[in-house]
Amino acid sequence: MGNYLFTQPFFKKNGKAVAIYFLVAIVFWFVFLVIIPQLYMLDLSFRSNVPPLARGGPQDFYTMEHYQHFVFGSKTSLDAFNFVDLGVFGRTILVSIMVTIANLLFCYPIAFYIAKIANPSTARLLIVSLIIPFWINELLRSFALRILFANEGVINNFLTGIGVIDQSILFITYDIGLYTGLVYAYILLMMFPLYNAIESLDINQIEAAKDLGSSSLRTHWRIVIPHAKPGIVSGCTMVFMLTVGALATPVVLSSPNTLWFPQLIYQWFNMNDNWSRGSAYSIILLIISVIFVLAMMRIFKVKIGEIIK
Amino acid sequence: MKPTYFINFMMGMYIFIFFAYLFGPLIVMSITAFNSAEFPSISPWECFSFRWFNEGKIAYDGQHLAGLLSDWRLHDGIISSLIIGAGVVSLSVPIGMAAAIVLTQVRSQLRDIYYSISIMPVLFPGVIIGISTVVLWDRIAGLGGDGFISDVGRNGIFLTILAQTCFISTYCFLIFVARLQRFDQTQEEAALDLGATQTQVFFKILVPYLMPAIASAAVIAFLFSFENYNTTVFSILSDQTLTTVIASKVRLGISPALSALALTIIALTIIAAVTYEILRRRSEKKYAQSQEIFVKEKAASGRINKEYKAGFKVPKGIVAILLVLVFATYGATQIVKNDLYGQSCIDAADKEKKSKFLEQLQTLESNELTEEELSGGSLGGTEDYGDIFGDPSLFQDFGGFD
Amino acid sequence: MSADVELNNVSVTFGSFYAAKSVNVKINGGEFFSFLGPSGCGKTTLLRAISGFQDPSEGSVLIDNKDMFGIGPNKRPTSLIFQNLALFPLMSVSENIAFSLEVRGVSKKDRQKRADELLELIALEGQGEKKVHQLSGGQKQRVAIARALAVEPKVLLLDEPLSALDLKLRQRMRTELREIQKRVNITFIYITHDQGEALTMSDRIAVMNEGEIEQIGPCDEVYNNPLTPFVATFVGENNPLFGKVKEINQNKVRIETPDGDFLSTMNENKKLNIGDEAIAFVRPESLFIPRDGDNFDNQIEVNIESFEFEGNIKNFYATLKSGTRIKFSIPNAIDTSSISSGTKLQLGFESIKSSILPKAQLAID
Repeated sequence: MGNYLFTQPFFKKNGKAVAIYFLVAIVFWFVFLVIIPQLYMLDLSFRSNVPPLARGGPQDFYTMEHYQHFVFGSKTSLDAFNFVDLGVFGRTILVSIMVTIANLLFCYPIAFYIAKIANPSTARLLIVSLIIPFWINELLRSFALRILFANEGVINNFLTGIGVIDQSILFITYDIGLYTGLVYAYILLMMFPLYNAIESLDINQIEAAKDLGSSSLRTHWRIVIPHAKPGIVSGCTMVFMLTVGALATPVVLSSPNTLWFPQLIYQWFNMNDNWSRGSAYSIILLIISVIFVLAMMRIFKVKIGEIIK
Repeated sequence: MKPTYFINFMMGMYIFIFFAYLFGPLIVMSITAFNSAEFPSISPWECFSFRWFNEGKIAYDGQHLAGLLSDWRLHDGIISSLIIGAGVVSLSVPIGMAAAIVLTQVRSQLRDIYYSISIMPVLFPGVIIGISTVVLWDRIAGLGGDGFISDVGRNGIFLTILAQTCFISTYCFLIFVARLQRFDQTQEEAALDLGATQTQVFFKILVPYLMPAIASAAVIAFLFSFENYNTTVFSILSDQTLTTVIASKVRLGISPALSALALTIIALTIIAAVTYEILRRRSEKKYAQSQEIFVKEKAASGRINKEYKAGFKVPKGIVAILLVLVFATYGATQIVKNDLYGQSCIDAADKEKKSKFLEQLQTLESNELTEEELSGGSLGGTEDYGDIFGDPSLFQDFGGFD
Repeated sequence: MSADVELNNVSVTFGSFYAAKSVNVKINGGEFFSFLGPSGCGKTTLLRAISGFQDPSEGSVLIDNKDMFGIGPNKRPTSLIFQNLALFPLMSVSENIAFSLEVRGVSKKDRQKRADELLELIALEGQGEKKVHQLSGGQKQRVAIARALAVEPKVLLLDEPLSALDLKLRQRMRTELREIQKRVNITFIYITHDQGEALTMSDRIAVMNEGEIEQIGPCDEVYNNPLTPFVATFVGENNPLFGKVKEINQNKVRIETPDGDFLSTMNENKKLNIGDEAIAFVRPESLFIPRDGDNFDNQIEVNIESFEFEGNIKNFYATLKSGTRIKFSIPNAIDTSSISSGTKLQLGFESIKSSILPKAQLAID
């Protein structure tokens, strides 16, 4: 295994024992944990849904039915398309994009303030304060919002208490709680790449721009944002990916009438025991994620290494 | 300069609102943990109590609402979470380290591909990693008959360790890559030149250098594992971890016991953060001192030895603590003044509720509607797929009422 | 114990690029030998070939008459001092020094004893417990030397170890290195691009350019009788005078240049014929302002452009008739206050202090 893969002969460079450890660890990870499970899931998504005992039997054949179901609905349905699933899918993507944009807009001023305006001790304090909520379970953070937004929750009780409203506002039913929760859930994954990117900008560049008569807005548009581009792309990618694949927050906060796409997968998988269809829907989610990452890399001309550091 | 003041004021307001958004829900939730009412709230304040941290309560209608100490499901969940965390740490740290070191050795043409494969798992949605692990191992277990493989392949804890390791290894990998970027490779060459074998170079030079990364990778891996839900909920099968217990509780109704749990976690987090910060500052100070001594020894010039007296300044932290104290005192006096604490208060509240119980039974229909909505239990799904909350088995998992 | 090091026709290639090309050199045991050349000339590659980090693509490296091919750096009787020293930051000074003993399984007590001995050698007694970052630049340097000497190597290889130090310290370390070499009496192979370092410390030097050795010899020989125009201009400063060979009389050669004819000395290894394109070299310190009664072999007319004061000497920059620029230095002991820019002067130099070589590439500063 030589010179085609490595800069130096692998076993000679690391010594036999260590080289074997490296190989075993990496092969175990790449092959057994990453690649084979995904491939097997891909395979399963093209198979008919049969109980374990019937596997390999006549009922176990390759089929497109699960993907067809996603687009056209069940065979007994009268609709031309599977409006319900497609609707869930479209809404999930659309809301995820909105959440990503909202996160970017909310975080930019704070990231800029901490990176360039605040004095070092304030900045440290703010950063530590940002990290603390991040270490609290996503479920519990969503739960905190649920306490606020429930029909007899803190906000409704407060508002009725002071007489602003006389009937509870249905925050959960209208998914206001869900949207707030999704923005809340991954906001720090937008904050830190942004902060790191802006922090690395030389303050002299900002001052030079101001000195040359550039307005604040223009300075941001022409100097800070182009410099922070990798951070912005990184933050947006992470937030979008996590939002689109979120399960914990929707489980706690989504209204009973609406579903988030991963919840749909969960249903096929755990409740309807249709693993093949669950796999097919997973593949669809995976494809969307990959397309999004590739699109971000293409549009903003950044490398994958810059997105995840 | 009025505009600058205005901008500064707006900025300050914005930062305040932002942090209020981050912390407000957590603070409200923490307060609800001390309210004895069975629905987490602040404004109809029943009694100040620690019951949700302890044994919970027996409700007026006979239901037992478990508190933190008396909830055995939660305890089981925590134990399996700890086991899984330990398993994930002991797999993902060595994997991440090996992958990061090998990254420095692959040819530059292959480096991009190798790096992309390594970070792919964090870009996969968590649910997918969970599902793919389960379907694969179910197949493997099916092949092996009834023996050991079948048991292992259907063991939720084992599957969860594997599934979490898949993407947590990437986080470890990234931590090691960052540390290795600053590694001076001539140190390896120097050690070799001095007669060390390659294995000795690894253990005496590289591993000691990577020690801080190993420590932080272990901590990160454990925390990510401990709080993971999306992957775990699939791979855990019939077992329960802390997060799946929490999720099934939240689904069926929100209880102040969860507030108590969250507050405990918040407190632990803050203690850990503060300890870490103190340790870090101490070691930094130590390093600075040793540097200072060296500089003083080296340059006897008086300029460095001159001491600067810092002007007196009120630290911001103290202001914050004072504010918190003021609010806490106000709250406490309110509670004491209105006699809203202690056993007598709780007894009175329960009595009142029991008397209302009959009344409530009469208006059962309307009550049912609201409660169902609150617990997220009403179903709106189409017939085509059952509702996510409509699964009867979920109610068996529910640990709140025993 | 010291060892001979012999490079037989050594070439090192990276793809189609020759980092070192057909290098032949025999370094004697106990010698202080330097490879001198500009950066990228292949001297570090040669050092890595000797220490075992890079096996030669062609030819062989012999240490103590034994072919070293395939033998790793940890098995060779050489020690390398790295350009950045590569001290281990997580270990104490003593642990650094005794590292080579530790990996050989020497007991802790013996290691400590050896470390103490070496600390004494480098005049850092009692500082073994310090961390590396607590040492000054010069002290680190000495620790690196002690660490390399701990296993008693037969050959010590040094890769520009002084380049990170400031001027004063560098000069002091030169003397110190030379002294240590005499004390331990092993072969030192030194790599540098600084000709001052090479000349002051070495017994012999090899001047390298683009992967090839241009000249090997004792310092004064290389300085006084360069074999190629590159060596003439890289080692020390030199004024080139371009022209054609007009007349040869034994080893004295007359060259015709746009600025007149000059008599110069030919190296017996670099024969010239009448009519050949050639360059006569004369060093700045070999040009004199003639005083009454002086009679130089060569006279040259210059027009002073500028000068700079360097302390012990004063450097003058002047142009010749043809526009060629030359530099000459006058010791501060001689009064030169009357000379300023625009002054026209007659300078003289002896043919024995000028060398003439066939035209070839010069070193570019």
